Amino acid sequence: MSNEVKAIFEPKSVVLVGASDGIREGIVSPAFFHSLVHNMHRFEGKTYVVDLSGKLEGAIKNLNQVPKGRDLAVVVLPSKLVMKNWRNLLNLVMKAIVLVAGGFDQQQREELARGVAKRKVCILGPNATAGVINTSKGLCATLERGFMPSRGGIAVISQDSAVGMAILDWARFHGVGVGKFASTGDSVDVTEADLLEFLMHDEETKVICIYLQSVRDGRRFLGLIREAVRKKPVVVMKGGTAQDERDKIFAAYLKQVGAIRVDIVEELLGVADALAKQPPMPGDRVAVVTNADGAATLVADALSRKEFALAKLSDKVTKKITRKYQDINIVEWVDLGIGAKADRYKFVLEQVLSDHGVDGVVVMNELKLSFLEPEDVQAIAEVAEKSKDKPVVSVTVAVGAGVLVREAVKGKNIPVYDSPEKAVRALDALRSYWKTRTRVEKGV
Amino acid sequence: MGLAAEKGKVAEILNSTRKEGRRELMELESKRVLAAWGVPVNRTELARDISEAVKFAREVRYPIVLKIASPDIIHKSEAKGVRVGLSSELEIRQSFGDLIDNARAYKPDAKILGVTIQEYLPPAREVIVGALQDPSFGATVMFGLGGVWVEVLDDISFRLAPLSAEDAREMIQEIKGYPVLAGIRGTPPADVGALVDIIQKVGQLAHEFSEIAEMDLNPIFTFDDGKGAMVADARIILVESK
Repeated sequence: MSNEVKAIFEPKSVVLVGASDGIREGIVSPAFFHSLVHNMHRFEGKTYVVDLSGKLEGAIKNLNQVPKGRDLAVVVLPSKLVMKNWRNLLNLVMKAIVLVAGGFDQQQREELARGVAKRKVCILGPNATAGVINTSKGLCATLERGFMPSRGGIAVISQDSAVGMAILDWARFHGVGVGKFASTGDSVDVTEADLLEFLMHDEETKVICIYLQSVRDGRRFLGLIREAVRKKPVVVMKGGTAQDERDKIFAAYLKQVGAIRVDIVEELLGVADALAKQPPMPGDRVAVVTNADGAATLVADALSRKEFALAKLSDKVTKKITRKYQDINIVEWVDLGIGAKADRYKFVLEQVLSDHGVDGVVVMNELKLSFLEPEDVQAIAEVAEKSKDKPVVSVTVAVGAGVLVREAVKGKNIPVYDSPEKAVRALDALRSYWKTRTRVEKGV
Repeated sequence: MGLAAEKGKVAEILNSTRKEGRRELMELESKRVLAAWGVPVNRTELARDISEAVKFAREVRYPIVLKIASPDIIHKSEAKGVRVGLSSELEIRQSFGDLIDNARAYKPDAKILGVTIQEYLPPAREVIVGALQDPSFGATVMFGLGGVWVEVLDDISFRLAPLSAEDAREMIQEIKGYPVLAGIRGTPPADVGALVDIIQKVGQLAHEFSEIAEMDLNPIFTFDDGKGAMVADARIILVESK
C-alpha cells in the first residue's frame, strides 16, 4: 500500500471534485468547495477542478472530461453522489481518493472497499473532512479557508477531522511548522497505521503526531510505533479516555513501545516542536540561563516537579564566564543581568553547552516588552541550532514577551514557550526520547 | 520455554477442562499448567480420601496447607475450605472432614474431588501477576503487590505480551509500592529477578494460548533476593467456547 499512500501526500496531479452550487448536505457545501479550490492555489503539481453543478467559471463540468490516470482525487460530494460517480472516479484516478464527506452506510462502505480492492488505488476516509496537507509541495486539500501552516518537520495524523483542524489552527496561530497532515476519518481502507508506516520512512518528517479516538488493529499499530521510534519520535494523544476503563493499559502499551503520550493539543504541538527542532536530552541536568533572577525561580520549580536537577557548572566554565563578564552571577542558575544583549547570551550559552555537567539548557528572556531587540534573541537561536547533542529551549514567564520572542526567531530551530511548565514538558519529552533511543540501541 | 512438549502438556490440561464443560480451571489444574510452563509453584497434590491426605502430608512435609478441591468452588476461603499450617496427622484427619462438611454446607450440589495437600510457604512479600486478552491488542500482563495495594490503591502496572526482561523489570519498578520490594528500613531486597522471570513466562503463556482469557497468580510469595519466588495460588479462566 505504501506507493498509494505516498500519492496521498505527494501527488503529481490532483482532481478536486465537488459542486459550487446547489448541494448542501452535512459538510458538503458550495462555500467549502470554494475554500478547497482556493487552498490548492499554491499546489506545485497540476490541479483539475471538476464542478458537477457546472457553475464555476473555468472548471470542468464532467468527470469524463478529465484526462485519465490522475494521482489523487479529493471528492467533496455527499455519499449518494459519490456512489453514483464511483465507477467514473475509479477509472479516472490511478492512486488515491480522499472522501471528505461522511454519512456512508455499511453497504456503501463495502462497495467502496470492493471498488479499490482489485486496483492499486487507496481511499482516505470517508469522513476525512480535514483532508490532506503537504506544505513543501503546496498541497492543501482541506476545507477551512487558508489553513496552510508554515513548513516544518512535524507530521500530524488525526482520526477526527475537527480535532485535526484544531491542531492545524493552533500550529498556524503559534507559528509552529507542520510538514504533512492527514485526517483518516472512518477508514474504510487507509488507517492511521498505514500513514504511520509511510511517515516513518519520510525524510522530511522529523516527528510524528497522532490523534486517536479508537485503535484499529492494535497489535500492528503498536508494532509500527516500536519500529518508527528507531528513526524518529512518535507523540500520541488519545481522546475519549473518560469513558475508557482500559486507558491505563493503553498508556502502558504506549510507554512499552516508546511513544510519548500527551493529553491536550497545546502539549502535543509544544512537545512536537521541541522534538522536531532540538536533539534528544541525554540526562537530567539542566542549566538555566536568565536575564531575570526571580523568574528563574519558577523555572527551577517546574524542573524539580519533573525530576530534573539544576546543573552545577564546572569551575573552569564558571571562571571563563565571570572573567569576561564580572557582573554575571552564577549560583543556582546563570543570571546575565536584565540588560543582557546578544554577545552576552551567545558567549554564555556556548560556554554552558560545552560543560560536561550539563545535559540541556533553558534560556530565558524576561521584561522584553519595551526593548526587545530581535538580534538578541536570534543570537540564542544561532547557538541552539548548532547544538547537536544537548537541547536548548527558550522560555518567557510573560506571555506577551513570548509572542515577541517567537516572532523574532520565526523559522529558526529553537522552540519557544510562554510558561516554565511548557518548556519543562518539552525537555521531559526530549529526555524520554533519548531513553527510548538508548534502549533501542541496546536492543532490549 | 515454548517447546513443543511444554505446549502439548498445557494444551492437554486446557482441553480436558473444556471437555468437562468448564471454563475455570481448578487451582490444581492451573498450577499444573504453570508448572508445565516453568513457573515455580508450591507443591500441590490431590488427596481423594483421608489416607491419601496423610500419605501426601508426609511426602510434602509438615507444616502443610489443606484446601478444598472442587470444580464448583472457586472462592475457597469463602467456603471455609482452607486450613494453613497443619503440623500433625491428627490435625489432617480432623481438618479433612471439616473441609468436606464446610463445602457441602456452602454448596450442597458441588462436585467434590477431595482436598489438596500443599507445601506451606514461610511469610514473604506477596505479589500478584495476572494476564488478560485485550480485544484489540491481545495478551496483556498485569503486576501489583498483594492485598490493599491492588484492591484499594489500584497500584497496578500493565504491559503487552510477550515482554522483554527490561519491560518486566520496568513494570515492577513503576508501581508506587516498589520500595516494599526494593527493601525499606533495613529489610533486604526481594528477589525481583525471580519475578521478572515469572512475568515473562506468564506473558509468553498468555501470548501462546489465546484461549486463556484470564490468569491470576495470587499470591506469589517473593522471598529475599537470591531465594526465588513461588506461586501459592492460581486461577486460569478460558475464553467462552465458540
